Amino acid sequence: MAIFPSKEWVEEVLKLAEKSEEYKEASKDWEGDFLCIIECDDEFLSDLSRKEIMEGFMSFLDMIPEERRKKYKGSSMGDFMEKKLGISLDASLKGLDLSEKLARISKLSAEDLSGVALYFWADFWHGSIRNMMGVAPGEHEDAAFKLSGKYSSWKLLVSGQQDTMRLVMSNRLQLEGDMQYMMKRMKAVVALTKEVLAGVPID
Amino acid sequence: MYCEIDPRIAEDKGLSLLRQETHRFAEEVMRPAAATLDKMSDPARVIGKDSPYWDVLKQMKKLGYHKIFIDPDYGGLGTSATEAHIILEELGWGSVGLATVIGVDQVPPGVASIFGMGDVIEKVVEPFVEDTEAKYHSCWGMTEPECGSDYVFLCEDSFRPHVRELHPGQVKAVKDGDGWIINGPKSRWISSAPAATHVGLHVTLPPHDSLSNGAFCIVPLDEEGVAKGKPIDKLGLRDSPQGDLAFDNVRIPDDYMIIRPPFYEYRVGQIICVTSCFMGAVFTGVARAAFEEALKYSKDRVQGGKLLCEHQSVKQKLYKMFEMVESSRYYTRKVMEHVWSKTYIEKTFDASSRHALSAQICATNAAFEVAHEAMQLHGGYGLTKDCLVEKLFRDARASLIMDGANDILSLAAAYNIVDEYQ
Repeated sequence: MAIFPSKEWVEEVLKLAEKSEEYKEASKDWEGDFLCIIECDDEFLSDLSRKEIMEGFMSFLDMIPEERRKKYKGSSMGDFMEKKLGISLDASLKGLDLSEKLARISKLSAEDLSGVALYFWADFWHGSIRNMMGVAPGEHEDAAFKLSGKYSSWKLLVSGQQDTMRLVMSNRLQLEGDMQYMMKRMKAVVALTKEVLAGVPID
Repeated sequence: MYCEIDPRIAEDKGLSLLRQETHRFAEEVMRPAAATLDKMSDPARVIGKDSPYWDVLKQMKKLGYHKIFIDPDYGGLGTSATEAHIILEELGWGSVGLATVIGVDQVPPGVASIFGMGDVIEKVVEPFVEDTEAKYHSCWGMTEPECGSDYVFLCEDSFRPHVRELHPGQVKAVKDGDGWIINGPKSRWISSAPAATHVGLHVTLPPHDSLSNGAFCIVPLDEEGVAKGKPIDKLGLRDSPQGDLAFDNVRIPDDYMIIRPPFYEYRVGQIICVTSCFMGAVFTGVARAAFEEALKYSKDRVQGGKLLCEHQSVKQKLYKMFEMVESSRYYTRKVMEHVWSKTYIEKTFDASSRHALSAQICATNAAFEVAHEAMQLHGGYGLTKDCLVEKLFRDARASLIMDGANDILSLAAAYNIVDEYQ
């Protein structure tokens, strides 16, 4: 069971993609990276009040080198971390007193999350995931595809409860990029959801 | 019963039983009801309170035929393509008009079950699949008074650069807060519209400049601002009521907007692939019905001192009819297996449109040619209202136009063939 989003979740996804022959076959001619934007919502706040989710969240942010993590400064996420959670973006995220942070979270409401978003980038290339990592705002803006949506919708996707197409069609996730390219390669998209993402159960 | 040559089916007792049971329903329930409905001079009577139309619809729903095209994860019957084809051929054999009724009935909940989420599942799909009393009855609103076959071209990727040369569409939706407002007319050819409670509607979205900038939504027809036209009087499929729909500031919730840009132009073709397969299966049933009538009559009717079937020229005609029926069945079944897999199993929605369109063209051409020959073999009797082939001929003639005129379907398929056949 992994926490989404977390370093552990990214590692599990990469491991499974490497192992899955079905995914490799279905996406063998896929070329195109994704910038993924997770918009934090009520469900995120509720999940974050659990220690293990908070730890996962920290491990995810810790994947971004300190120098680049500073790019969150001034963004809604930066303000959320520094002003609401009291986490400095200039310092290491290791060894933080999480119980103090959890206490702060219990006093927050959905309004405190306005515009707060997490970013990660995944580079899909000929049957493998060459790279997947947390990124800072403004990075990889030139990705072939951009997929954004609320945390609760992302959870439906990464848990395999809903397929990408249904989430995108119903506007719960917003997709930008070359639609014709994607529509002709739906096999790769379906295999990623079914064979890889759904194969990493999330807590 | 016809001889099944596919061993997967012939040796499967379950499939044989399915075929027998569906055939019994088609023969004992659909045919008598269709004959009654067909003879009603006032088309409005077809959907009248005491019409057999409702009785057949209820029975079809009790048997689950309204769930064939629903995603099994959302209450669908979970049939295989082969099972679906077997059922649909038999229903078409019984009455292609009533088969069309149960076919279009599934378009809105079927599409919603594949692509929809939220309220539309809870308020439309779930009550629909559970219904056995025909409380819910759907239709599929695509063509418009000024925009008919234009829609067929949307199913061809190869035609995409030319879509803006087509009519931009007359039914328009605009976002209004957390919902949508719909305005405009749909044409008189909407099957089941006069009797339906819901429509699966094709609309365009701002700036309303092209059909490709369109969307598919579900509209409950009891909403304020919906106007239903009277059932039209027509040549064939008189047991399937058709009429127009008009929308005047009709509001729907956001979850009822199922397919929207930029996906609409890539997905609408896949809906057409499924409906073309439906047409292929049910009109194979019509072709077979006409052939069987001709064969039976030729073994009974004496002309020139011997039975019709003993004349060599008649034998040749019967052979040709048989060949068309069998070709139609095995080709359309194979295409349905392909489309089914891409839609309900792999969910990659990349079925070959040229094959789907050609399944419809193949079966409807077969139905018309076989019904025409069957009528010819029946002589003067074939022209009378007492003779089943007279109805089959009218139904088969309508099939060359309904659900996309064959000329246009073949043209759309040709764009795909020229661009993609290798």
